[in-house]
Amino acid sequence: MRGTGGLLVGLAVALLPLVVEAQERSPMDPRLHTPGKLTVGTGDPVYPPWMLNNDPTGGEGFENGLVYALADEMGFAPEDVVWVGQTFDQAIAPGAKPYDFSIQQISVTEARAEVVTFSQVYFQPDKAVIALPGRAVEEAASFAELQEARWGAVIGTTDNDYLVNILGIDNAAIYNEQVDVFQAMQAGQIDATLVALPTALYVTAVQLPEARIVALLPPDENDRGHGLLFEFGNPLVEWVDEALAAVIERGVVEELKQTYLVADPDLPVITE
Amino acid sequence: MTAETGAGTRADSRGAPPPPPKHRYAWREAALPTLISALSIVVVFGALGWAITSAEQWPRIRHQFFNVDAMVAAFPRVLQGFWINLQVWLVVLACILVWALVLAVVRSLRAPWFAPFRLMVVVYIDIFRGVPALLLVLLFGFGVPALNLPGLPNSGLFWGSVAMVLSYAAYVAEIYRSGIDAVHESQRAAAKSLGLTEWQTIRYAILPQALRNVVPALMNIVVALQKDVALLSVIGVRDAVREAQIYTASTFNYSSLIVAAGLFLLATIPMARLADYVTRRDRERRLQLAG
Repeated sequence: MRGTGGLLVGLAVALLPLVVEAQERSPMDPRLHTPGKLTVGTGDPVYPPWMLNNDPTGGEGFENGLVYALADEMGFAPEDVVWVGQTFDQAIAPGAKPYDFSIQQISVTEARAEVVTFSQVYFQPDKAVIALPGRAVEEAASFAELQEARWGAVIGTTDNDYLVNILGIDNAAIYNEQVDVFQAMQAGQIDATLVALPTALYVTAVQLPEARIVALLPPDENDRGHGLLFEFGNPLVEWVDEALAAVIERGVVEELKQTYLVADPDLPVITE
Repeated sequence: MTAETGAGTRADSRGAPPPPPKHRYAWREAALPTLISALSIVVVFGALGWAITSAEQWPRIRHQFFNVDAMVAAFPRVLQGFWINLQVWLVVLACILVWALVLAVVRSLRAPWFAPFRLMVVVYIDIFRGVPALLLVLLFGFGVPALNLPGLPNSGLFWGSVAMVLSYAAYVAEIYRSGIDAVHESQRAAAKSLGLTEWQTIRYAILPQALRNVVPALMNIVVALQKDVALLSVIGVRDAVREAQIYTASTFNYSSLIVAAGLFLLATIPMARLADYVTRRDRERRLQLAG
């Protein structure tokens, strides 16, 4: 009798992981923020070309395109993807997050990885210098000449880290929003700003047509590129990472890049 | 003196007063309240500390908010930013005190031909006291420089400071005015009877008394202004708060904000004590006058 009981318990323990396994890695995974839904955080507002028309649900744009491809890979229907709009400050705040993961052009760095968990990197943008015509920085051909300009950048981006670490500029004016940077540029308070190339292309084409991309800059090796942001230690990372790898493997990211993030190949590159 | 004598007389008439209680050194009674308050402090703060540190997320919060390494790393830049806070604070403060005085004096002039200027001051105060300081900083910091006015600087620091002066002067002008109104009407009458003109009355009779009346209230504004200089961070001025935010945004570690908070406390707590001291001295002066 005792032997049978022990056998039954042993059997139950052995089968338990299988039962759980069946639920995990499916849309009904109990570890999801809301089982049955894929809850994704992003900025509010969202900017092209990362997401077009300030509407993540439209599916048009690099990042929301990627999320819908990812959701499909993970077994979610497009209508089961729920978007949560948040500021950058909310995204980096400690504590429980109201989503499974966040996508907001967040750069993966070592220091950040100590307090949040990142997926693998899905995109590594070049950095581009934007300036209004007629400024000295337009003619810059070396880091030394770039250092003479007055710089501005947006808080929370790795653009300021780039200015400090690569260009040696530690007095850039730091603004809350991208629009503030361009306002300051038009007010003559700063000469130049540094942004990811896709953003630069959009800004110079639509938001501020009189501004232009002066040059491209080489990547910073401490900035590993954009990743998905998870709450620290979120167990979903493995599953999402595998799906992300599969999506990248299928060439979806490359396709999205071609559609939304095409660069101008004629831009000069300043490397030293 | 008179009161004591009176009491003594009354006691005499009712027979001998009861003997004074035997004096003994009651260290128990002296020490017990101290002991109880020390104990209750330990219990209350201990319970709070235990409740906070036993929270499941505490190790992560400690790592993200009270990380000594991060504080050390952020300190030099935050201190550098704080230096800007102090400079802006002193310059803006000086401008506010002068400009607000002009406003308050114009508003208290009684002569009829000053009516349009009085009206202007009333409108000014209504507008600048009614609009949030943050909005003024944004409007002046980004809006005015974009006009590219010839001969004027276009730096955010300059225009942000202008916005702070305009906003705070509206409050301070009202404080001055309350001080002016608190000077008794007879002082004006007396000055007039001596043959002083309106301007002389204000300059020699009213203002010296009015300013002394409002010093405690002004100290309060001085402390508040010291912290509100941080509003300039939204227009790209790298003050202590902005430097701390830059560190936070780049590493996702909030310890730098604690560093900034500590610096502000270091500066404002002595100011608060000074304000207390000034207030107390002022009160003593009044009581003396009243006595």
